[in-house]
Amino acid sequence: MKKKRAIQALNEKARAIQSLADGEKKSVQARQQGPPAMPVGCTTIFDTGWETNPRSSYPVGNCLSSAKDFHGCAGDCWWPAQVPDGLTNHEDFDQQCPNIARDWRVLKYD
Amino acid sequence: MIEKMTNWLLIAVVFAGVNTATAWAKDTFYYIGYGLIQVVDGEIDAIVADIPVHGWLRETDFSADGKFLYVTANRHLIHRIDLAEKRVVSTIDVSDGGWDRFIFGFDLAPDGKTAYVNLLSRRTHKGEVVVAAPVLAQIDLEDGSILRSIEMPWSSASLVSVKNATNIYVIGKDIIKVDVSAEEMQIIGSYPMFDKKWNILPMWDNTKENGGVFIVNYYTPERMGLVSIDSATGEITDMLINGAPVFAYSVMRSPDKKKVYAVMDELTVIDLETRSYESVTPIPSGTNYAINVSSNGKKIYVSGGGATTTVFDAESLQPIKVLQMKTDGMDFRRLTK
Repeated sequence: MKKKRAIQALNEKARAIQSLADGEKKSVQARQQGPPAMPVGCTTIFDTGWETNPRSSYPVGNCLSSAKDFHGCAGDCWWPAQVPDGLTNHEDFDQQCPNIARDWRVLKYD
Repeated sequence: MIEKMTNWLLIAVVFAGVNTATAWAKDTFYYIGYGLIQVVDGEIDAIVADIPVHGWLRETDFSADGKFLYVTANRHLIHRIDLAEKRVVSTIDVSDGGWDRFIFGFDLAPDGKTAYVNLLSRRTHKGEVVVAAPVLAQIDLEDGSILRSIEMPWSSASLVSVKNATNIYVIGKDIIKVDVSAEEMQIIGSYPMFDKKWNILPMWDNTKENGGVFIVNYYTPERMGLVSIDSATGEITDMLINGAPVFAYSVMRSPDKKKVYAVMDELTVIDLETRSYESVTPIPSGTNYAINVSSNGKKIYVSGGGATTTVFDAESLQPIKVLQMKTDGMDFRRLTK
């Protein structure tokens, strides 16, 4: 008996992933070919992580959740894995704590 | 008697002249924060007013008469602020018709009614994401509508009006020169940077304070350099700095044009004649995004990133004062009247 699917594909991308899972030949588009076909709102840079501070003594707190450039990294989605995505999902997150060093403990986003 | 009166008259004239001279240039600084702009009096280096402004604030431009400040927020709102009344008097949204649009780069057009912006746009259609090509657009500041546009390469991050805004230079991986003087916009040239392996973050535009010159630092795999755009002539120049690169988010020229000040975690002074780093001073408050200079060149302000503004004496490079701002910040702009 064919196992009933718990998740149904609703769009082309989902159907493509479903086909892949069924053993269909996968297709890969190299990034060098043409403009990036990806949703706007996520960073296109892949740095090592926020923030790998090479200087051991200063600046104060640059590698912490209360880091001075947290808001600058968040709104424009520079570090989508570590800070809120202000372009799409958390546009007004800065209202929670406009002063990160003082109010970071009240930050709540997921 | 007449001689005595003449002497007093002479003293009065000299006194009036001195007072006039010191009253000439008054610097007012605007701290571009989050949900707030704070006004700093450049004579006493104190916060004198708060201007509530919705959103996380990014680009700014002063109107030609200095009466208004335009500021973009959340990458899709544009607020118009009356600087005398210290309040937002209008707000437009460039997203509409189902399109999410994001602004990266903003300059007022000379007509005062329109502006040039780099736009990224996206929407969903039948469950699929549709991403439009990036454009340079001229928008109506009354309603945010796009009046005309031209497709741009990806990664446009900023723009500069040159030659009385008959040209717009779009800064991204390269500098793309666009002639906007005719009815249709037209790309007329480019200044290559990407193929030279330049890494650039042109997010802080202090062209107006910088004597009409847009200046930004860039990085090669080995060194840091400065690229500048003269807004009057459109001339682009670049200069590699000798020595191991310093970290800097933004730079600004000294009024005498002999030095460039750079800021990130340190305040760096670059000698333009020797093309070398003259001094590197750690900033006690940590990372700062923005830098500005008093119109007389005697004070350097580092600000943004976190919620501080530090005032340095330009001669000794000693911190004079640290202002505790209410919010974190993005930029620090100066208006001199």
